[in-house]
Amino acid sequence: MSTQIRERLDNTFRLIFQSSGLLTILLLGGILFMLLYNSLHFFSITSFTDFFFKASWDPDEQYGFIPLLISTLLVSLGAMLLAVPLGILSAAFLSELAPRRVQAFLKPVIELLAAIPSVAVGFLGIVLIGPAIAKVFGLQNGLNALNGSVLLAVMSLPTIITISEDAINAVPKAHKEASLALGADHWQTMFKVTIPSAMPGLIAAVMLGLGRALGETMTVLMATGNASAIPKSFLDSVRTITATIAIEMGEVPYQTRHYFALFAIAAILFLISLIINLTGEFFANRIRKYHA
Amino acid sequence: MKTLNFYLFFLLIFSGCSTRNNIIKIKGSDTEVNLTVTLAEAFRSVYPQIVISVSGGGSGLGIASLMNGNADIANSSRRINEKEVELLRQKNLVIDSFIFAQDAIAIIVSEKNPFDSISVETIRKILSGEVKEWSQICSFTKPINIYGRQSNSGTYEYVKKILGIQFSPYAKQMNGNAQIIEALKADDSGIGYVSAGYVLKGNITGLKLLKVYDNEKRAVSPLDAEAIARGEYFFQRPLYQYFRKNDWNRIAPFIEFEKSETGKRIILKSGYYPLMTTI
Repeated sequence: MSTQIRERLDNTFRLIFQSSGLLTILLLGGILFMLLYNSLHFFSITSFTDFFFKASWDPDEQYGFIPLLISTLLVSLGAMLLAVPLGILSAAFLSELAPRRVQAFLKPVIELLAAIPSVAVGFLGIVLIGPAIAKVFGLQNGLNALNGSVLLAVMSLPTIITISEDAINAVPKAHKEASLALGADHWQTMFKVTIPSAMPGLIAAVMLGLGRALGETMTVLMATGNASAIPKSFLDSVRTITATIAIEMGEVPYQTRHYFALFAIAAILFLISLIINLTGEFFANRIRKYHA
Repeated sequence: MKTLNFYLFFLLIFSGCSTRNNIIKIKGSDTEVNLTVTLAEAFRSVYPQIVISVSGGGSGLGIASLMNGNADIANSSRRINEKEVELLRQKNLVIDSFIFAQDAIAIIVSEKNPFDSISVETIRKILSGEVKEWSQICSFTKPINIYGRQSNSGTYEYVKKILGIQFSPYAKQMNGNAQIIEALKADDSGIGYVSAGYVLKGNITGLKLLKVYDNEKRAVSPLDAEAIARGEYFFQRPLYQYFRKNDWNRIAPFIEFEKSETGKRIILKSGYYPLMTTI
């Protein structure tokens, strides 16, 4: 092959890779621009106080964002309370305790959990988890924040377990050996040495799991009852930001206040997940650097 | 081959022109599309020489198409409005209407609920959240749980509009009729609204449909087809078909078919109410 052709090929391929990289950035930039542009439009016709201090989301009447924000945070917080202990303990079991054969079987199974479509999870919430919650707590109906939390916990488990396991695996063997040599038993070593030194990775796992839970739409739309009042407990029906957008986007007349309002809440959700994902990435990078 | 296609193309165009009288174009309300398509399909087996095309797009679009000649029949789930009447006058068009079916919304509660019939005023208070406990209005001592539809549903819009209320923020918004029925089966303190057509098809053991009365009038069940034909049920909405008066001869076979026994059977089977008497 002549040098000329080779150089030309090299250049062409570099161009292809460069432009696909740039395209991704362009897409993200475009989405961000559209969200911000439309939400600025919303705030130019609606005051901040209306948006942040009205107690109800009732399009065309009032645009109180707080019930939606509290609902979203409540459901995600509940999901993390369930998924974090379960996820980290499973990860510890997988990397430290499980025999090789169990490990080889369990890992793909956990990853398969991520492949269940969110509609199917939501359906389980309606026909299985909902009635079960109603029975356990003596409620009339199980479509509430707790139901959403349980389902989102299941959905964020694969993310949390996979990243936590990597973090625990990455703890140098020497740390554990030193601990065992000093007379600490297996449990003490795990809780006082292994898990603390994997902490940045575990935080990253939790953050990315949380990001997954915040953005989930279909499951919470189906399972949480969608009442737009401010929830007082996990047993109240809630209406998350994502569900609101999904329900209302289809019927909103374009270029109206309601239309721009949906962009505004989408932009805020985007900012929240951006911050959470960046935090997760920050800790994930720290552990990578630390062990490099 | 190319020339053949070319000829076929012209043949189609000319044949289209020559049979112009045998095509009926129906446009309008999305609520009525499915029912009209079912009726049109059945009509074809009776009158194969008449072709009927049905499309949706909303009641407003249907009426606009009727005015500019793009449709022969406009389906509409609302009455024609002032603005449209004015436009018709400007265009010198005389139109006529026919109510071919009615839609009814049923108010549903648990069998254990003491109510058998309920006033429109009470429904208004319950759905708007003014009354939050059954004990405020009857012997039942439970909080009221409202099960409604999501705001992208036509039923949601209709109930909200005819009662002139804002729904209570505590009202649960369910994905569809089935979910409302299932939730009410489990919740004896619930109240919900679904299309009566769905109730006809669905299994509603353990539930009851409330009769509804407005002021002093008689309480009417949403399943009382005769009362609905007389327009006595509160939550009923007529489904209109508008047409140009001088087209009558052309579209009459289809309208007559809708009025026929077969037509009525199809309307009932699709979950709507046929009209017993023409209005």
